[in-house]
Amino acid sequence: MTAPAAPSPPAQATLRRALGQFPIVTTSTGLAFAALEYLAAAGLVTYVAGDSAWIPIGVAGLLALMAYGFFGELNGMFPTAAAIRIYMQRAMDDRIALTITFTYMSTIVLVIASDAFIVGTALARAFGEPPWVSSLWIIGLLGISVTTNLRGVTVAGLLQDLATTIVVLATLVISALALLHSGHALHNPIQPLHGHSAADLVEAIALGVFLYSAFEWVTTSAEEVRRPESIHRGMLMSIGILCVVCALATVAMSHTLTHHELSSAYPQLYLGVAAIGHSGMWVMAGVTAVTALNTFNGGFITASRFIYGTAREGSLPRQLARLNDRAVPWVPVVVLGGASLLVALAVALSHTWEVLVAVGAALETMIYAVAAFCALRLRSRQPDTPRPFRVRLLPVLGPVGVVVFAMLAAIASVSVNNHFNPAPLIIIGIGAALSAFYVLRILPGVRAKEEARRAATPRRRPVR
Amino acid sequence: MASIEEICEAFADWRTRSNDNPRLSKMVKGWDRVIHFTASDMGQGFTMLVKDQLLSELVVGYHDQPDVIVTGSSEDFCDMFWGDLNPSEKYMSGEIKLAGSQQDVMRIDAISMVAFLDQ
Repeated sequence: MTAPAAPSPPAQATLRRALGQFPIVTTSTGLAFAALEYLAAAGLVTYVAGDSAWIPIGVAGLLALMAYGFFGELNGMFPTAAAIRIYMQRAMDDRIALTITFTYMSTIVLVIASDAFIVGTALARAFGEPPWVSSLWIIGLLGISVTTNLRGVTVAGLLQDLATTIVVLATLVISALALLHSGHALHNPIQPLHGHSAADLVEAIALGVFLYSAFEWVTTSAEEVRRPESIHRGMLMSIGILCVVCALATVAMSHTLTHHELSSAYPQLYLGVAAIGHSGMWVMAGVTAVTALNTFNGGFITASRFIYGTAREGSLPRQLARLNDRAVPWVPVVVLGGASLLVALAVALSHTWEVLVAVGAALETMIYAVAAFCALRLRSRQPDTPRPFRVRLLPVLGPVGVVVFAMLAAIASVSVNNHFNPAPLIIIGIGAALSAFYVLRILPGVRAKEEARRAATPRRRPVR
Repeated sequence: MASIEEICEAFADWRTRSNDNPRLSKMVKGWDRVIHFTASDMGQGFTMLVKDQLLSELVVGYHDQPDVIVTGSSEDFCDMFWGDLNPSEKYMSGEIKLAGSQQDVMRIDAISMVAFLDQ
């Protein structure tokens, strides 16, 4: 081995292919703006009076800003794709951290499944096919997604930017046109409680938080950015964009759609019709399909790589770290695809997408509460760790965040379509129980086996 | 703290195992990259190229613009190149830091895993 002398190294090397600000904004917005957004927005309308849905969305936006602060501080401390694992491990007992992480990761399966269901249903509707055909679309969409992932094909950055831009602009334009074409004034735009209770408004806010959810997943791109602050700025811009688009889309839906249309599995198609007639349905069917591009790409990559990393770390069975010849962790991809397919088909058969929305809302608000706790706890446990982004008044905002998000999670988990329904809580409870069972009963065995395997492998490094 | 010579010796072994591994050759097909290693405790950088499915020699210092930057301690690099350390474990605990796209990071880990560990 030769080790030739080199010219003096640059003080700070920059990546050849680093991400700038725009891709971070589109990634954050694209991950949050899944097809499920339309159903959650339509569902939110039923909780408040008239056209006042923008109010809970605005309040939820303020709460999302608080969550942005917590994630911003944590991401600044640990600018890595494995950040969630690191900060939770350092803020709490590792068994609790792993249980929460595994439960939270199920959100990704829910989002992929719901997008497959919504896109499948919307396409079946647009083509005038009977409802059962949506199941074929779901199988086809997930099949294509799993296959392309296994072949190592990912959506190129430019295509992802374009997809998000199309979705956001089309939703804005269609919503604005629907409002303009309605020809009548807004009803109760500033009276959300007219004929509704305060509890309804709180539930609407919980659903509103869900409209912003996943904006924080962009923190997994922290290792790819040209400037670290791009992540913080990107999340902030994304919250602003989501606030405007969701508020406008929701008001347009409440103003132009009937109760039957709002409670359907494709309210966005009706919104398109209200805006520009029959062709609007095709526009929104196309936009719905485009949302899946970001969700499937981001969801499969983020979740499968996280599962792979956790398996390599020794916290999941080694089989989940198997790679194919394209260096893709094929077992996690297949497991995610299979789980998503089962959930999507179950939802298609049972027509219970509102339950899916509630589960997603509860899990997301739960993780926001956990982020608040971690940011607060690490202030005392790791006071000297550099914090490029520091939340002001964290001693006040931290506990407020924990309480508010935990309360919203509790409310969202027992409320479906403005009715008491414990189904989301039961689903989350089962997921958490399975995660806890794995962490407490199975994981010690997995780790012991891994330790034994390593102990049996002699060290190769020469002793000097 | 490991010396530069120890790191280069460990890397030479890693390189031989990697380049002799047909499965790994498939995995890095079409993946030509510049990788910088920074041993933070030494304040020393190293450069490795992956070109035409082969790992280059380790060059002391930074050369070219990197696609991936791996930062860790000199001891960790030595152990990793000898195959005694699972870099994912150190990565998940924040002791090894990476900069680069998720796909590129996956390939680096694939090299470290496939070169030494039975799948």
